[in-house]
Amino acid sequence: MKVAALLAERQVRWTELEMLCARIESTGSSGLPPETLTRFATLYRAVCADLALADAYQLPPGTVHYLHALVGRCHNQLYRGKFFDFEAWGRVLLIDAPQTVFNDRCVQLVFVLFWGVFLLSAYLAATPSAWPQYAEEAITREQITTLETNFKNPPHGRDPSENYVMAGYYIQHNTSIGLQCFVTGLFIVPGLGTLVFNASFLGACFGYMARPDVPEGINFYEFVTAHGPFELTAIVLSAGAGLRLGISVLFTRGWTRLSSLQLAAQDAMPVMGSAMVLFFLAALVEGFVSPSNLPYAAKATVAILSSLLLLIYFVVLGFPRGGIRATR
Amino acid sequence: MAPRSDTRQSGTHQSGTEELDATIRIATPENIAFQYQLAGPFRRLPAFLIDLAIRMGVLFLMAMVVGMLGLLGPNVASPIWMVFIIIYFGLEWFYGTLFEALWNGQTPGKWLLGLRVLTTSGQPINGLQAVVRNLFRLLDLMPPLPLAAFIAGAPIVATLPTGLVGLMSCLMSPRYQRLGDWLSDTIVVIEEKAWLPGTVKLEDQRAAQLATYIPPTFVVNRTLAQALATYVERRPYFSLARRREIAKHLAEPLVAKFGFPADTGYDLLLCALYHRTFIEAQPGEVGGDHRAFGSQPQAYGSIQPPQAEGIYFVK
Repeated sequence: MKVAALLAERQVRWTELEMLCARIESTGSSGLPPETLTRFATLYRAVCADLALADAYQLPPGTVHYLHALVGRCHNQLYRGKFFDFEAWGRVLLIDAPQTVFNDRCVQLVFVLFWGVFLLSAYLAATPSAWPQYAEEAITREQITTLETNFKNPPHGRDPSENYVMAGYYIQHNTSIGLQCFVTGLFIVPGLGTLVFNASFLGACFGYMARPDVPEGINFYEFVTAHGPFELTAIVLSAGAGLRLGISVLFTRGWTRLSSLQLAAQDAMPVMGSAMVLFFLAALVEGFVSPSNLPYAAKATVAILSSLLLLIYFVVLGFPRGGIRATR
Repeated sequence: MAPRSDTRQSGTHQSGTEELDATIRIATPENIAFQYQLAGPFRRLPAFLIDLAIRMGVLFLMAMVVGMLGLLGPNVASPIWMVFIIIYFGLEWFYGTLFEALWNGQTPGKWLLGLRVLTTSGQPINGLQAVVRNLFRLLDLMPPLPLAAFIAGAPIVATLPTGLVGLMSCLMSPRYQRLGDWLSDTIVVIEEKAWLPGTVKLEDQRAAQLATYIPPTFVVNRTLAQALATYVERRPYFSLARRREIAKHLAEPLVAKFGFPADTGYDLLLCALYHRTFIEAQPGEVGGDHRAFGSQPQAYGSIQPPQAEGIYFVK
């Protein structure tokens, strides 16, 4: 049989497959009757066989090209990804993330670094005798003035209707910073730079506000208490997950550098996921609890409860209990 | 991400022509290998810009609607603005993730330009890969170019992404992967809808006549058949002199070999050979022509592919 006759025979099936493929591309496979799907699979296998034998049939190059494209399109419709697997997401957030964090040296290192710089900076800013003008240098004069005017009054003067907008803004702004911190962590220096800058800046603010001669301090602390635990933990987690990426390129544990990086990215995603959840929670607290009329005791209780929740999440859920990761 | 060590073998194993044509060979569970053309950075940039425009457009429309609803009073406007800001955040970071996961590796921009994201082994991407490759676009767009370089007095934070990191990464990868692709082990391929060219109808009747004079013992091997098909498919686009010039290299030795008169048209001879190889069975030739299978073993002699038999029973 010559190619012309062969093509005339096969063309009918190929065209039918093409039409079926276009139908599945536009409407998805769920709406089609099972016979059609079986037909699709059968025709796909047939065209695969045609392509495999293209050399033997001496098909012209143009036809072979057509077959490659057709098989490619059908392959993409036949084998599809699955995304909305909520059970898997829950498993990742409640089991994988805490266990990764608990064992992750990078998160621990970043934790120590962040709080070390934070406390040092707070100490220097709070005691003018240790480093005169430290607060002015770390925060700058204008920022100090802004801080002082912002916290002149106790933080319940805000119109409650504004809370929603502010909560949305906190979610967008803080989570974006966390994600940036994570992504730039691949290059190590920018990620750690963001972290240390934030630690020293925040530390200086806290230290400056703790000075006895700064009357706005009491309002400042009343505002930041409630959302502090979630937000600061979240930024530490983001930077730690980012640092894990950068470190994985340097220390590959026997993999190639690329594979090591790919594995690290895979392992870092649960941590980043939990960091995002924490950013969302922190933003809600910051938007609705921190500026509210609630007495300070209530806001402190929120802070204590959220700290407890974090402890349970990372220590109780995260405590190593064997499984796949125990050997790593 | 797919199995970790062995899958990327199928991608890195490339022969010379595949590197030249920037194609990637993918082995399917059906145990055949087919090719995709890889999408380079400048094929992907327009898709990215389309997606960017769609994102901007959606946000602009939503902002107008929300702004109008805001006239109803602050108690209504505030929660709506919160939703708007959260959607803005979601679009900024997860627009690509969402579409690539839901649309099987395509965003609207990629769909318009016929691109699709796959794993390096040709499988569909999973949610994790969609997240990773879209998060790390931030790095691919680096380094930022401060607008202050062009506009005097522009604030130092106002910057334009240059995308040089992604471009360099694409150029250094044999598979045009940007950083996000490297990290998530994905590639972007061109999914084209090719049309079936079929065989060429030769309007010149002399070709069919000449074909009968070609010695029946002459065997057209695989490479010659490919060359013939390529030539005949393209010859309508050439002038007569050009056809003669191109056909000469192949036809001159054949004229001598077949013992044809020296004034035989080179173009005509190739057409005749094409006719004999692809279109018309020789008289006395029955069904399966073994010569058509070139160097293939006898086992392939059955024209019906083994897997294709089932289709006669379904409907």
